[in-house]
Amino acid sequence: MPGPQPFGGLACARVRVLMEAYVDGDLGSTDPATAESVRVHLASCDDCRRQHAQAVSLPFRLKALTSPLPPDDLANIVMAAIRPARTESRYAWALLIPEGLLVAFIVWYLSGLDGLASAASGTLTDLQALLNWGAGAAELPSVPVADVFLLIALIVLAITAAYHLSILSRLGDDAHAARPALHRHRRA
Amino acid sequence: MSDSPYQPEPIQAPPARWNGRWGWPIVIAVLALIGVLLAVADIALNSPWLGPLSEAVVGPPVVTTSHNNRAPGSDRFERTRPIQAFTFRSPFRPIGAVNPLQGLRALLSNGAALILIALAVLVVFPDRARGAIQRLEDRRGAVIALVAGVATLMLTLAALLLLRFTLIFLVLIPVLVAAAVAVAVFGIACIALALGRLMQHRLGLGPTHPLVASLAGALIVFDLAVIPYAGLVALAAVVIAGLGIAVVTRFGSETGWSFADLKW
Repeated sequence: MPGPQPFGGLACARVRVLMEAYVDGDLGSTDPATAESVRVHLASCDDCRRQHAQAVSLPFRLKALTSPLPPDDLANIVMAAIRPARTESRYAWALLIPEGLLVAFIVWYLSGLDGLASAASGTLTDLQALLNWGAGAAELPSVPVADVFLLIALIVLAITAAYHLSILSRLGDDAHAARPALHRHRRA
Repeated sequence: MSDSPYQPEPIQAPPARWNGRWGWPIVIAVLALIGVLLAVADIALNSPWLGPLSEAVVGPPVVTTSHNNRAPGSDRFERTRPIQAFTFRSPFRPIGAVNPLQGLRALLSNGAALILIALAVLVVFPDRARGAIQRLEDRRGAVIALVAGVATLMLTLAALLLLRFTLIFLVLIPVLVAAAVAVAVFGIACIALALGRLMQHRLGLGPTHPLVASLAGALIVFDLAVIPYAGLVALAAVVIAGLGIAVVTRFGSETGWSFADLKW
């Protein structure tokens, strides 16, 4: 234990107490006279200067940092992240039923698979006619008139399938979505 | 609380049982042999209820050349005759012509194409493939991919039929079909690598290049596709799951489907 060495008007023990505020710059702004006394003391005292050099070194200052307290809602965040999404999981399976029914209705409305095949071949024919029209070799193809019930069924099927996909993409993404939140808290 | 910085626990790889240099070549050779044998069986059984689709992967049971347009003196270049010499007729009704060379041809044509496409996708999109495979290897990832594939198929069907009834957007139909095929191919490549990694883990194979694991996985997909009677169904399931995993992960993107960029 170093004994009192009143260089600059301050004892070593007093300088050690003021060291942290001096290094942080707080002492210079609140009490410039004392800060000047500390500076004079450090210029003449080897032990205190060594302490000061250690205090201003980056590893020492990092080590002196205290671990931040975890946020109050950390447990809730973790539990919410790992909780299985039961409702969405149920929707993910249940939506297959209306989709299947809609497809069955559309296939029935188009006179079965033969109707679907004729729709596909008609599409190819119209595409070819459209290309020929673009080349100036044919008339513009006439677009088939769709039944309003078929259009409604197709639009409902498209919306249902898109909603279904949005649920499925969230289902698989739960674990991935939890990671950024936990990383944020770890960084804090 | 300790002041030492957080250190994650090192992830231990499963102990390699076949850590030798011949582990992967043996597995790949066995998978290729299984593929040829299954293709031979598939050709011989020639699933009648599938109609022309029964030859979609394995090709026709007997190769014939047209005699109508043959150039004079081209008989000496005829190569089907020695191939036909390997054809064995079975007396039993469900079993048709058995030709090992036809099975090998199926592996070298459709199987090789599948492998090359899978490897090309992984070479071109390694980051995106990793994202998709990680999702696939998650809990229930395969089931989610399959269901998402079914939903994507329905969405594509509805969109195609809706575009059919327009004139301006009719030209988008080939674009939509091409996009669906590209997405499915990406998904199949990811499934191939995921299957290779799964096999590596289950069989305890040593570490290897990811493309080698992908090659083994693509061979598994080919083997599934040539299972007699059920091959097309299995291949359809793989294609649908590939479509689903690619759509769910937005082509393997890190951010997935997010509207965060639109909120400013």
